[in-house]
Amino acid sequence: MNSTEIIEKFRTAARDPFHCVRSLKKEKHCPVVGYTCTYFPEEIVLAAEAHPLRLFGESGMVLKADAHIQAYGCSLARSVFEDALSGQLDFLDVMAFPHSCDTMQRLSDIWRLNIKNTVHLDLLFPVHLKSEAAGDYLKAVLERFKKELEQALQTEISGSALSGAISLTNRIRSALHSLYRIRAAAPERISGSDLNRVVRGCMILDRSTAADLLETLADELGSVNFPAGKQPVKRLLLSGGACLHPDIHDIIEQQGGAVVWDDLCTGNRYFDTPVPDGPSPVSAIAERFLDRAVCPAKHSGIDRRGKELSELVSKYEINGVIFLLLKFCDPHGFDYPDLKATLEEAGVPSLFLEVESGKPVDGPTRTRVETFLQILNQQEPMT
Amino acid sequence: MICCGIDIGSVTAKGVLLEESKQIAGAIRFTGYNAGNAAETILQSLLEQAGLKQEQVDAIVATGYGRNSVNFADKALSEIICHAAGAHFAVPAARTVIDIGGQDSKIIRLKENGQVTDFVMNDKCAAGTGRFLEVMARALGTDLDGFGQLSLKSRTPAAISSTCTVFAESEVISLVAKGEKRENIIAGIHASIAARTVALANRVGVVPAVAMTGGVSRNIGVVRALEKHLNLPVIIPENAQLTGAVGAALLAQKGK
Amino acid sequence: MSKKDFKKSAAYMESVPKMKKIMRNYYLKAKYARYLGRKVAWITSGGPVEPLIAMGIIPVYPENHGAMIGVSRTGVKLCEVAEGMGYSTDLCSYARADIGCSAAGGGPIGGLPKPDMLICCNNICGTVLKWYEIQARKFRVPLFIFDTPFVHTEFTKEAKTYVDRQVEDYIRFLETVMKKKFPRDKMNVVGKRSVEAMRLWQQVLDTATAKPAPLTAFDAFFHLALIVTLRGTRTVLRYYRFLLDELNRRVENGIGMVKTEQYRFLWDNLPIWHRMRWLSRTFAARNAALVADTYTSAWCGTVDHIDENDFLGSMGEAYTRIYLNIGVDKMAEKVLNMIDKYEVDGLVMHSNRSCKPYSFGQYDIRRIVQEKRGLPVLILESDMVDARKFSEAQAETRIDAFMEMVGQK
Repeated sequence: MNSTEIIEKFRTAARDPFHCVRSLKKEKHCPVVGYTCTYFPEEIVLAAEAHPLRLFGESGMVLKADAHIQAYGCSLARSVFEDALSGQLDFLDVMAFPHSCDTMQRLSDIWRLNIKNTVHLDLLFPVHLKSEAAGDYLKAVLERFKKELEQALQTEISGSALSGAISLTNRIRSALHSLYRIRAAAPERISGSDLNRVVRGCMILDRSTAADLLETLADELGSVNFPAGKQPVKRLLLSGGACLHPDIHDIIEQQGGAVVWDDLCTGNRYFDTPVPDGPSPVSAIAERFLDRAVCPAKHSGIDRRGKELSELVSKYEINGVIFLLLKFCDPHGFDYPDLKATLEEAGVPSLFLEVESGKPVDGPTRTRVETFLQILNQQEPMT
Repeated sequence: MICCGIDIGSVTAKGVLLEESKQIAGAIRFTGYNAGNAAETILQSLLEQAGLKQEQVDAIVATGYGRNSVNFADKALSEIICHAAGAHFAVPAARTVIDIGGQDSKIIRLKENGQVTDFVMNDKCAAGTGRFLEVMARALGTDLDGFGQLSLKSRTPAAISSTCTVFAESEVISLVAKGEKRENIIAGIHASIAARTVALANRVGVVPAVAMTGGVSRNIGVVRALEKHLNLPVIIPENAQLTGAVGAALLAQKGK
Repeated sequence: MSKKDFKKSAAYMESVPKMKKIMRNYYLKAKYARYLGRKVAWITSGGPVEPLIAMGIIPVYPENHGAMIGVSRTGVKLCEVAEGMGYSTDLCSYARADIGCSAAGGGPIGGLPKPDMLICCNNICGTVLKWYEIQARKFRVPLFIFDTPFVHTEFTKEAKTYVDRQVEDYIRFLETVMKKKFPRDKMNVVGKRSVEAMRLWQQVLDTATAKPAPLTAFDAFFHLALIVTLRGTRTVLRYYRFLLDELNRRVENGIGMVKTEQYRFLWDNLPIWHRMRWLSRTFAARNAALVADTYTSAWCGTVDHIDENDFLGSMGEAYTRIYLNIGVDKMAEKVLNMIDKYEVDGLVMHSNRSCKPYSFGQYDIRRIVQEKRGLPVLILESDMVDARKFSEAQAETRIDAFMEMVGQK
């Protein structure tokens, strides 16, 4: 398969994830486990021979969910629940809610009270990641999830299956990392919108298929000789929660910019840090959660996110940062002003964008992006 | 060199022709539903005024919401860049530009040479924009022109706290029902717009001199309220409505 | 009404000036803590304050300060300061007001005293975590996070171990910051006082089962300040005993806070601090009393989980099981219990843009209340501090429609 065909597979998955997973379920007869956050042990699900599916909310119009969650709930939570209420998720066998933010926490309750045909599991992760007690507790939470999943699916998860699942997800992480590095070195080799779909596709497609596709894609894009002498681009970094707006990349690229790295849960936060070798598979998974790039809904020291962002900015020679936040997302909203200030100190310009999932990028947002790029371009000496 | 700037806004379409830095033609009309047509009409009217043919125009830059529907333009630039260039041209001392248009408001920070260093736009809500004022004027049974003057008569502006257009409208209606004087209500509306705009401006920081562009700059009540909240004078360039188009024309020149 | 007349009216309570004096002294002491050689800790409203009291640290509550900002109607201005710093207007208005106040000063008491440490317990929301991180970066003082796993359906064994271990971490943190040993014997006394204060507070609220109710939720919102800020001290016990006596006398004499009490309602969510007077008058004018609420009872709701002879050993669980840290169905159960206990005719829910953990789930609770008790439910859209998100006209229309529904029953 060539790279265009591979990318097309990811595009298809991202375009209609439910159709993709329904077919997979039919073909493989595997149970499907829905989940809502990157702090989720996909490995445990895979070891149970089930299929993990990250939900992003496909319903643009929220009608049914409006009767359960107020309009000041984020569009991600509201549209994910709309999908459930309108029956689009009836293929799910298990729905799992890893604890993240206040909204998702309440969504779990509301889901449990209203959606009756799936097994409902909560993963009560610690919020604090920097204490010994939290580390031990996290392991216990994962052990509980493993047990509850075994019960729900009437199966037993062996240690070797878990180790196998860990090496599979590590393959995906490593291949995504290679793709990101290729993009950082030569942005013209894969468009930002396609890379976004590739990452999301990994959370939808059969994981071993995804790993194979990714490795081939990374090989092809890494080896092919592309014509040199491309115009230099403005190198940008996207920071925020889930990016469900691949079209934002097209606007950026039309203006001579390229997102060459990100700090998103549909990006870096998904593949950052492999699961290490550990005394037991479950504690190894826990170790990764404690170490990997942190989400603002968790605590890992007061300066960690600012430091991580600054490191990415200098490592990938970033010219500007775009904060892409979902409207009504509290954890990111609270972090933004101090992160912006940190960037300002380093002389890195940034742009703040508020978007809603399920809605296309609108005119004012396009204006903001274009202006930001035009400002960055102005800063070059006029030729 | 003759350059043209076309600014297709949400409510009105504007255009100018510049010969070097001298304006030789200017036009305004309603945008209507077809931005491309509006742009075409504006261009024809500019050419007619100046007695020129389109081939004689060296460069055209389009801006505003409809910028990408202007087929004859050489380049489309965002209205922020263009407003900044236009404001810098009209008020060279300006370091902060407040632009309140029909459906959004923006604050732009400039360097001495007119380059944009930072900007911020209002969020999705219409409150604090020209559209908001229109709704309020309707609720008070007056037109926009009378609105600004009327508010200057107020000694005790009413407290309007809601920032939501719908909420604010019901607040206004209940003030009317309570018999509050119209000028006080209008002054209250202006004060609330000013407070909101200044809070937005603080995100990028306000550095004098402050210039204001966009349709709402014609409302003297809002301008005075802004001056009070900023504790700074606000300079309104002549033909403030054309600022974006002038900026576009200047940038067309620069690009050549 | 003249001052003299007011003192004779049913609305007058001797406790009120007493309470105001206690709060004034408390804030005075906190503001001058440095000169008194005392340390100040900022702590979240649901946080474990007792160890601080035992340690002689003065606790200060940004949320209580937020409420005062709301009542004094200085919230919008302070929120705008925070918005100018880049904080979205959709974020919690307590946090915005506090961040604005720390940056620019102002507010009803000229700002809070600077903290020597920050104690953040996330049993009320995830917002406090972000808020306290911001303040920890600003003030560069030690931050302790007491992490209470959410109780959707059960309080797990591992969660129990986790919170118990954090109690020990908390003690060690205080010992490190204060450079002295934690007084365990003093802790026992403080713990017992705290439990007694919670019981007294519950009794205070219970007086509203009388008809007419001697106090309304609006009064409870006011008297609440002490159980939030100073539980574990003797002052609180003395005050609530005094208040309870006064309320019991009112019950004996049949004095209601709403003279014409005909309808009784239950309030849900935080108060709309900037419209307290307006709301209480609007309901009273319709012969309605808000006799109880889910908010003020949250500070005594888990008293049964505390072993007063082993406060430290049991407080982890008690702080984890509080009202806002449990599942929506469990909250609905508590609402139903209160409906029965206080014999109310309807439920008034404040859909509070600033408090997502309190507000999301209200629609389902409404449905459950309608199904199980057949009571009318009113939802008022607002915000606890940010007056820009409230419309009196819209609220009044809804209240009138609600009263018609109640009257038809």
